Amino acid sequence: GSRVRLCVVKMGPVEVQFSLLHMSVYSQSFSPCGRFLAAGNNYGEISVFSLSAALSPDASEASQKPILTFTAHDGPVFSLLSTDSHLLSAGNGEISAWSWVELIKRVGVEHLKIDVSLRTSLEIPEINTMVLSLKDNSLFVGGGDNNIHMMDLETGVFKSTLQGHSDYIHCLAVREREGELLSGAEDGAVRIWDSRTGRSVHCVEIYKYEECSRPQFGKWIGCLATDSDWMLCGGGPSLSLWHLRSLSPTSVFPILGCQRQAAFYQDLILSVGEGGSLNHCLLSGEVKAQIPCTPPCLNTLALNGTEQRVLTLGGSSDQIDVFTNLSYRAFSLSF
Amino acid sequence: MASEALKKRKPKVIRNEGGTPEGKRGRGEGEQDSRVYNEEGELEGRDPKQDYQQYKDTCAALAKLMAEIQELKSNGAKDGSVEIEERRRQSCVHFMMLKKLNRLAHMRLKRGRDQTHETKQKVDVLHLQLQNLLYEVMHLQKEIGKCLEFKSQHEEIELVSTEDFFTEAPAEISRPHITKEDPHQLTLARLDWELEQRKRSLAQQYKTSLASKEKIEKGIEVKKEYLSSLLPGLQSIMQASLPLQEYLSMPFEHVQKQAEVAHHLPPPLYVLLVQANAYGQASDKNLSVFISGDVDEAKALSKPPEDSQDDESDSDLEEEQNTKRRRATLGGQLDDKRKEMLKRHPLSLCIDLKCKGLSLCIMIVLHLFFYFLMNLNILTVKTKVSPSSQLCGAVSAGELLNPETLLNCLYASDHGRETPNPANRYQFDKVGIATFADYISDLGHPYRWVQRLGGLQFPCDSPESAVTGSALSANHMESTMKLLRGRLQARLALHKQFISLEHSMIPVSAECQDLFPAKVLSRLARWTTITFQEFVELPMVQHVVKAGLAHETDLFFMAVLERGTARLQAAIVLNPRYPDATPLYSLSLLWKGERSGRTDDNLRAMESEVNVFRMELQGPRPGHQLLTNQLQRLCMCLDVYLETESQVCDGVEGPREFPREKMCLRTARGPNRLKPFKYNHPQGFFSHR
Repeated sequence: GSRVRLCVVKMGPVEVQFSLLHMSVYSQSFSPCGRFLAAGNNYGEISVFSLSAALSPDASEASQKPILTFTAHDGPVFSLLSTDSHLLSAGNGEISAWSWVELIKRVGVEHLKIDVSLRTSLEIPEINTMVLSLKDNSLFVGGGDNNIHMMDLETGVFKSTLQGHSDYIHCLAVREREGELLSGAEDGAVRIWDSRTGRSVHCVEIYKYEECSRPQFGKWIGCLATDSDWMLCGGGPSLSLWHLRSLSPTSVFPILGCQRQAAFYQDLILSVGEGGSLNHCLLSGEVKAQIPCTPPCLNTLALNGTEQRVLTLGGSSDQIDVFTNLSYRAFSLSF
Repeated sequence: MASEALKKRKPKVIRNEGGTPEGKRGRGEGEQDSRVYNEEGELEGRDPKQDYQQYKDTCAALAKLMAEIQELKSNGAKDGSVEIEERRRQSCVHFMMLKKLNRLAHMRLKRGRDQTHETKQKVDVLHLQLQNLLYEVMHLQKEIGKCLEFKSQHEEIELVSTEDFFTEAPAEISRPHITKEDPHQLTLARLDWELEQRKRSLAQQYKTSLASKEKIEKGIEVKKEYLSSLLPGLQSIMQASLPLQEYLSMPFEHVQKQAEVAHHLPPPLYVLLVQANAYGQASDKNLSVFISGDVDEAKALSKPPEDSQDDESDSDLEEEQNTKRRRATLGGQLDDKRKEMLKRHPLSLCIDLKCKGLSLCIMIVLHLFFYFLMNLNILTVKTKVSPSSQLCGAVSAGELLNPETLLNCLYASDHGRETPNPANRYQFDKVGIATFADYISDLGHPYRWVQRLGGLQFPCDSPESAVTGSALSANHMESTMKLLRGRLQARLALHKQFISLEHSMIPVSAECQDLFPAKVLSRLARWTTITFQEFVELPMVQHVVKAGLAHETDLFFMAVLERGTARLQAAIVLNPRYPDATPLYSLSLLWKGERSGRTDDNLRAMESEVNVFRMELQGPRPGHQLLTNQLQRLCMCLDVYLETESQVCDGVEGPREFPREKMCLRTARGPNRLKPFKYNHPQGFFSHR
């Protein structure tokens, strides 16, 4: 792949090795066709990998390298999201849109940059999470200013701000059917918002529930996932499965590390976090398997929904693990 | 044939033909000669034509008789009738006649053949004689031809003309009475005269040249005496001028002496000498070059080395043949061969580089001794730093100025452990040398930059440059000298810093104060050096080892930072090219449990703060502040870490061991909740990158 570096300093080969040693992958997103993967890291770079090349029978070491790497933002890229034509990346207080068609052609030119106007006097807060609500064609952005911003995808204008959390937003999840948004934050609360009115319908303080709370780790909520009536949440408190209508925890998973991302997959629950393993859990609360991965701490989990069904994991390493079968790691892509 | 048996010849077969009266009669009686029926004699009397006619007649008569018999028989006559018998008798007679005629014919034929044969033989004999004579004639003709063609040398000698000859030559030689008649004698006489003349003139010339030679010799003697008388005078003048030379700093004599000895240097050392001198004169007043070693041995070496090479190959053969038999002496032979292969040229170069030492008034000198290994065609270098008394201050600095390792990796990955000349591999195999590394402490390091300075180019080097010899040396001289100086100064600076570090003080220079807040509470508790083995066994550095960033040629240290009950261990890899290469830190924190950069994202961020942001930390050129700034930054980050960490036990926030003193805007940010490690000057608060 081609390295397009915007910084002026020329790095020697050893310096490049040092920077690879300290790289963390924070976000991933598959292309609409499912054959490419974009990953964002702590240096503000985005790399595009060709999955179809890496998975083909005559794949070599070169096909596990990116086809394109470019610097997208000044700060780390904590969140990536794909629409059906564009890749959205989040930097410090700004969102950039890149055309997937151009990226596949190895051109890293920004299509659009949106300033989310989060700036305070001394620093610009980060954007940690972005989710799409297809029903009302809006983008929800949660970040370091403790608020959730709602943007209309048609016009690119911010329609409303959902305020309520007392500390920065970690994660968001959308309940399409009910038109609701779930948010988890550093203050330990999970809030359920009505996206039309923009008001917080419920507020659950997870750490107050004895079965989940782990005071030695803190009260922050790092991951959220929802599947119609169910919600997964975890972070400082243990990863737990909640029934949304009754707002009570049904299962608590005995996973030691703090979880940073979780997802429902068929009848399984997959989660990743500190501890460096992919956890397979059952709805009953049992941990079926813990598969070790290359990065010692994992930040992001991504599942491909198209014909090439793969699971990719990124974390505190320059390597992204690729699973073709959920039970073991097939190979790793590297930045 | 019966008649044959009767003749006086050797009887071959006696045919017993019964019924021939002549035969019986012949054998029975003794007087065979008179009674012999000599048919052969008869042969002469008869005419072949007549015989032929008779034969025809007899045949006709016989045929007629047969016909008559036939007729009679067919007419019914009996077998025994008289007419038939009569005719039978007659036909018998005819048959006998035919037989006789047949005999005669055979005899005639034989005789004819014999005669022919005899004649033929005679003809052959005569033919041979003819041939012999013809050959002889031809031979004689050739000989005559040769004789006629013979040119004698005497014809090439120019002789005086006959008239002159007669007038000039004395009578004994010319002998006109004979020579006038006989041309042969005339020529002889003329030759004689020629010889006489030449002898006379040559004798003359010889005398004159002898005389002149004597004269010239005398002249040479005189001049030699004159010159030798001059020599003492010149020496005294040279001596007298020495102080003048020094005063004017034009050390002609020193340079001249050096130039004399330099003629005996091997080519690479000569190139190095010339280039170093040139560089020293042009750019670097603190560089000086000396030649040391045995000049006489060097002179002895200039004999052609082919003999020794032949001996080597012969004795190799011998060696192979003898391996099975004489193992005891093989070791000794090999040893000698090894010594021979690794032999150094008796002359060596010493280049001295002067640098300012720890205190400005003392100069530290870096001595570089360059040797040329003749059979391997490579240069090696040994170092010494003086005065060594200046260099013992810090315990951990032992390795810093170790002459064996001081020049490691002057250029990236130039470890100097193996010979750069690929041809040496074959030579080593012959004498059983496994690796050159075993001999380095003895012979010096064969770094690649040393080969380049000597103008030696080996194929493994970068293929773009096609220059060799002086041009190669000149291209690299300046950069290498600068690197050498830089290396020495960096090590001296480190040495000074280590003295402080061992006293638990991190020396931060005035220019770098802005990188850190005024108050940093964590302090350096311990600073020690560790070996490569010890480093590799540490659990928190496995990612470094796996990435191939720790080599045996690197220096390894352990720093321990402490604050309160917390202890942060930092394992440091120091590349010999410091400060051009950044030291690499790996962290492990002991505080309410053990965490490392692998398990804790914040410790990893701290590692990244010191490893990745070299441009911020290196301070003013040439970057000697890098290590100490890194350490100070670690202390600062440890402060932030400890002060922002929530301390909870038994579900309740307990009393804080480390009260919040550092100004932070936010204590956590991003999905992995990183702490603010970036210090902002002059506002004095911490923020996230």
